[in-house]
Amino acid sequence: MDWVYIYKALPDLMNGLGMTLLISGVAICLSLLLGVIGAALRTSGIRPLEMLVTGYVEFIRGTPYLVQIFFIFYGLPSIGLKLSIFWSGALALTIWASAFHIESFRAGLAAVGQGIRDASASLSLKRWQHAWFIVLPLALRAALPSAMNTIVATVKNSSYLQAIGLVELTFVAVDRIAYEFRTVEMFASICVIYLFCVFILSGLGHWLEHRLNRPFAGR
Amino acid sequence: MMMTAPYIAQSSTVEAPLSVEMIGVSKWYGHFQVLDSIDFSVRRGEKIVVCGPSGSGKSTMIRCINRLEVHQQGEIRVNGIVLTDNVRVIDQIRQDVGMVFQSFNLYPHLTILENCVLAPRWVKGVSRKEAEERAMGYLERVRIPDQAGKYPSQLSGGQQQRAAIARSLCMNPDIMLFDEPTSALDPELVREVLDTMVELARDGMTMVCVTHEMGFARQVADRVVFMDRGRIVESASPNEFFGNPKEERTRNFLSQILH
Repeated sequence: MDWVYIYKALPDLMNGLGMTLLISGVAICLSLLLGVIGAALRTSGIRPLEMLVTGYVEFIRGTPYLVQIFFIFYGLPSIGLKLSIFWSGALALTIWASAFHIESFRAGLAAVGQGIRDASASLSLKRWQHAWFIVLPLALRAALPSAMNTIVATVKNSSYLQAIGLVELTFVAVDRIAYEFRTVEMFASICVIYLFCVFILSGLGHWLEHRLNRPFAGR
Repeated sequence: MMMTAPYIAQSSTVEAPLSVEMIGVSKWYGHFQVLDSIDFSVRRGEKIVVCGPSGSGKSTMIRCINRLEVHQQGEIRVNGIVLTDNVRVIDQIRQDVGMVFQSFNLYPHLTILENCVLAPRWVKGVSRKEAEERAMGYLERVRIPDQAGKYPSQLSGGQQQRAAIARSLCMNPDIMLFDEPTSALDPELVREVLDTMVELARDGMTMVCVTHEMGFARQVADRVVFMDRGRIVESASPNEFFGNPKEERTRNFLSQILH
């Protein structure tokens, strides 16, 4: 292992990491928002909306992620929707992650029982008050562990976006390998960097879970 | 079971205005009839105990009063207002009617104080300070002011149920519904909840309690109502009900629960 080579490649790798974090951050935020909205629609009781969301989730979960990326980047321009590499990537990542977040939050919503609904009704809370003060916080807590999995996977899956030329961490490594053939150095480096990111994120997730659950024993 | 101090049912409530009126109320779950032409009324200040075997429709009946269940036939009036599908009507009635549940149904992510403050603040528009003062007042009344900052899971079942009673009282209801409030409690915790209910009765609250606590019924009830298979079989004063039940089914039921 050539440590000096890795050291010299670090500025490049850090630039790549910056892009990885930026696009993952954008996708995580958007997909969490869409996940909550999608789960709300999915359980709205309005049949067509429920079917639409279910169809979306099944389609995304049932097709390869790389195909989705290519579809957005190469397919959409031919029907008149041309997006930059960054926004194509962000869109692909968001669409993918949203499907999984919808499922997590749907399970979270299901965890809020009839008894809690009865209590809110008997106190004559309005629907939005019940949704905002009671259902959302309880559902987010219940959904947190599986949502954290999706968040971590979002960061890792951003690496697929090197396939459409997004200059993120994996792209930087593959690009340097193409010129300088330091395969082991580069792949080992980015593995460690990805691991480090995931480690930080999981730690954050555990901390949040612990904090939110400290006084409250479920249900 | 011994209670705190004797409570004497008042006969003056006979002339009081009607708080709840059910006229020919029926309800079905699919083909199964849960309520069969229920005629039932509660005057202001009256305390009614509703008992009966499980599946007799007693919970369903009181849940119809604040529209947690929808009746399909007949009429329900609460403080003179006819209960309809109209959201404003339902809202108004729910603000007059407090409810306590078998499984407490406290919000697990909010402290006891926050549980008590939420609805007065957002539904009644009471200021935070006033809502908190009111809540502390009721928490003192149910004797758990020291638990105000804790979360429901940190309290015993009896404390949770008393917190739920306080939460309901914070909306200043004039009718309180109790749906088997002690059935989910460990036996040694039943009494503290019943004591709270006895005190509430003594303060003149209009109460409808679904319960199997016959000691409570004897001590507090103006009337005991016995239900079976969706019908009111017998309705009488506690003395008559326990001393001289008219109906065969009532006698059978009493012999099963009073050993």
